[in-house]
Amino acid sequence: MSQLIKGAVRNRHPFIFIAPALIILILFSLIPILIALVISFTDMDLKGLANWSNISFIGFENYINLLSDTVFHKAVYNTFFYVIIGVPLVIIFSLGIALLLNYGKNLIFTVFRAVYFMPAITNIIAIAVVWGFLYNTEYGLFNYLLSLGDIGKVPWLEHPVIAKLSLILLAVWKGIGINMIIFLAALQGIPQSYYEAARIDGAKRWQILFYITIPLLRYAVFFVTVTTLIGWLQFFEEPFIMTRGGPLDGTVSMALFIYQRGFQFSEFGYAAAGSFVLFIVIIIVTLLQFKLRKADTEY
Amino acid sequence: MLKKKGFIYPTVLAMGLSAVLAGCGGSDSGEDSDAISVWAMGEEGKLLNEMTAGYEEETGVKVNVQAIPWDQAYDKLLTAVASGNGPDVLQLGTTWVAEFADAGALLDLTEHMEEYPDFDLENYFEGAQTSMKYDDQIVGIPWYVETRTMYYRTDLLEEVGYSEPPATWDELKDAASKLTESGDNDNVYGLDIDLNDQITPFIFAWQNGFEFDAENPNFDSPEFKGALEYYTSYFEEGISTTSEGIDIVQAFKDGQKPIFFSGPWMINIMNDQAPDLEGKWAVAPMPAQENNLSSIGGANFSVFHNSEKVDEALDFIAYMNEVDTQLEWMEKSNTLPSRLEAWESPELAEDEMYSVFGEQLENTKGAPPVKEWERIAQELLASIERINIGGADLDAEMDEFNSKVKSMLE
Amino acid sequence: MPSGKAKNNAEKWIATILLVVGGLIVSLPFLWMISSSFKPENEILQMPPTLIAENPTLQNYINLFTNLNFGIYLRNTLIIVLLSFVGLFFNAMAGYGFAKYHFKNKEKVFYLVLATMMIPGQVTMIPVYLLLNEMGLINTMAGIVLPGLAAAFSIFLFRMFMATIPTDLIEAARLDGAGEFYIFFRLIMPISKPIFAVQGILTFIAAWNSFLWPLIIANDESLYTLSVGLSLLKGQYASNFALQMAGAAFMVIPIIIIFSFFQKYIVEGFTTSGLK
Repeated sequence: MSQLIKGAVRNRHPFIFIAPALIILILFSLIPILIALVISFTDMDLKGLANWSNISFIGFENYINLLSDTVFHKAVYNTFFYVIIGVPLVIIFSLGIALLLNYGKNLIFTVFRAVYFMPAITNIIAIAVVWGFLYNTEYGLFNYLLSLGDIGKVPWLEHPVIAKLSLILLAVWKGIGINMIIFLAALQGIPQSYYEAARIDGAKRWQILFYITIPLLRYAVFFVTVTTLIGWLQFFEEPFIMTRGGPLDGTVSMALFIYQRGFQFSEFGYAAAGSFVLFIVIIIVTLLQFKLRKADTEY
Repeated sequence: MLKKKGFIYPTVLAMGLSAVLAGCGGSDSGEDSDAISVWAMGEEGKLLNEMTAGYEEETGVKVNVQAIPWDQAYDKLLTAVASGNGPDVLQLGTTWVAEFADAGALLDLTEHMEEYPDFDLENYFEGAQTSMKYDDQIVGIPWYVETRTMYYRTDLLEEVGYSEPPATWDELKDAASKLTESGDNDNVYGLDIDLNDQITPFIFAWQNGFEFDAENPNFDSPEFKGALEYYTSYFEEGISTTSEGIDIVQAFKDGQKPIFFSGPWMINIMNDQAPDLEGKWAVAPMPAQENNLSSIGGANFSVFHNSEKVDEALDFIAYMNEVDTQLEWMEKSNTLPSRLEAWESPELAEDEMYSVFGEQLENTKGAPPVKEWERIAQELLASIERINIGGADLDAEMDEFNSKVKSMLE
Repeated sequence: MPSGKAKNNAEKWIATILLVVGGLIVSLPFLWMISSSFKPENEILQMPPTLIAENPTLQNYINLFTNLNFGIYLRNTLIIVLLSFVGLFFNAMAGYGFAKYHFKNKEKVFYLVLATMMIPGQVTMIPVYLLLNEMGLINTMAGIVLPGLAAAFSIFLFRMFMATIPTDLIEAARLDGAGEFYIFFRLIMPISKPIFAVQGILTFIAAWNSFLWPLIIANDESLYTLSVGLSLLKGQYASNFALQMAGAAFMVIPIIIIFSFFQKYIVEGFTTSGLK
């Protein structure tokens, strides 16, 4: 009997551990997402927000309109452009820097751990001003450096494709810090004994890196990949502060499109529909990664 | 007992959590039942706090001013509209009036107009009266106003033969292109047009005799197209640049951008950041084509639709809009008073900068009271970008823009 | 093996040089932010920008502290920081629950948790506000803190790290008669120091800079935070860059202190995963 009770209590523990966070998430994230889903089938605008009797259900009209909205098409294209180029760069750079920083524990390395974290804590207005200068076509530092090598002016933020690349560079710079400390923490989890064993076996440094360190960091790489993808699919801040989506909608992202429709034009129904398209894209991409990982070994 | 633990636990936890949180919150929100609440934006909100003492003394009604950052004001207003948790009085930028009035967020003041002679339409600039009305309601009282005028370098214009500022479109074009050519390098742009500014294209259009018809959008009319041709020609001919360049104050100082349009706030920025330029620059009214209309903006006071203290709210607005209070406010905030009468005072009428703004304010138009205006203006900027940078055909682009606006307003 | 050691040293030097060069480039905007806080306004947007103020001034800082209701804002910010560490603890518990227990539909529940990361925050802002309004939490600290208390990112991160702790260790503790909470506090938390340090840094930054909810939930300025106070200094037309940079520089100091404090746990946290 006591055995049975013990079993029941033990089975309850996972819920006790999960409940506080889960309750909060359900209340303040999942329920609002459901509400937003309902809104996406309505024509809600400011008038509707003020008085719900002004709202009418219009079925899939918002979604159908999205299909023919050329700005939305561009936003989808740009978002994938950002993700496909940017995400691998963030992962490679943050992992690379974490590995370099892991070389030593003396003062220089301590200082540089803070230095590489600085982009993550630099004020957004300072970022806009300084990068605005770096990218300035006429007076910017980048074009000045290029002119020394007799290379013509590059319209960093004034050409639709180049502007996208410029924003990716900025976002990579900004995104390294947080992922880097996650990798650093993961690196401490690798037992020294593995390295010692490998060294005794006469393994070279690169062999240790590729056959021990990186495989053992697999779970951290997985985490960083999943969360970075989720973050970059919602790419927003960089175009918002640097280009406002221009030139010629060349840098508008899905999240920026949603913001403009929702918070500049008050088309809440339409913006909600846009965000559910984004939501579904992110779910598919994320589930795909989990499935691929299953095929790999469970950690 | 043990079995129950798991069941009770979440409840206890939730209760404990809310108790802890509630304990920390609302400790001193000071629910003064007599106080009226006022929302004001950014720095003005902070300054307004210092202005309420006079009113509080006069009436015994306490005023709680909540300052809201400009960039998030819209978000805050949305939540107020959605929940009805608004203030009694709110500061509202003139371009937002139509949208919030349409949503029913602003109290109709029509029945109170007789009671408060300060609110009379005749007290305010003609251009500002547009923002007071929505449909046949009175939804706001202008608090302060702004308009755009022309800032120019007197010394540089003199060099190209203009001892007086250009007064017509043709003169402006001529002066600007001469300035462009006069520079020692190719970095001089005779006229600076801010491509992100929503109102500039409309200012040109009004000057060209354009009058927006909300019933039947007319952005394909010759007046509008002509104005845009004039606007875009500056970029085509290299007199203005689509490139970001350097900050306007420095460019003005260096003579790279010797003419630009801006509002009254620029006077202080110039004085603070380019003090050595004093005497080498001036402001002038807009150059004219058919007329020299400029835009009028600024902020209104409105009463939130479900305010329970309408009388106190109106008293407060009336107090703030007395001529003397407005002049005191101008001292503090460097914004321009909305009352015509205030402009007769010497500190405005005899100031060489402000008097130009006063003159221009007589010739202004407000943004049309259409709730889709923000979107229309954004669409226009996108169209202009396609013409300037993308090389699109102006005629076709404007026809397309007009049909977009038509479907928006349907 | 002298040659091996020399090689090792050379590698260390290359790593150091790479780090220094990269670090200088990476931290330029940060340095500019700090130096600009000592510049008069007219120097800020000068082209080309200067890294060292030509006419250094403390005026921005003086303006900053005379303009802010500093005491109240700081108090509110600190309360939010403390409460969000309660949230961090909830996230750690949830992460552990997902990592080391098996229960029905675990993965489905976990996908639900992840789903909360997948929609832009602006979309749910108004629904969340209306919910808080129904709960009577408008204009309370609870209303400001609750929406951000649990975070999927954090739960996911805890889960991934705690999954690498050998289950044998936990089983051994259970056999010794340790309770589940005892195990969590006495075994799991010490082992997970590095990841707690990472999360501590991230939680502190988020709470210290918290901006949108304090602004939206507060019906008067007594609930404003430092970030909200700073953003009030920005005019509609004139942006007061110098003053804002002073504010930003001031805001970043505690973050650096917290970072320096926690980072040693990131790299020196001991691990028992080798006991397998």
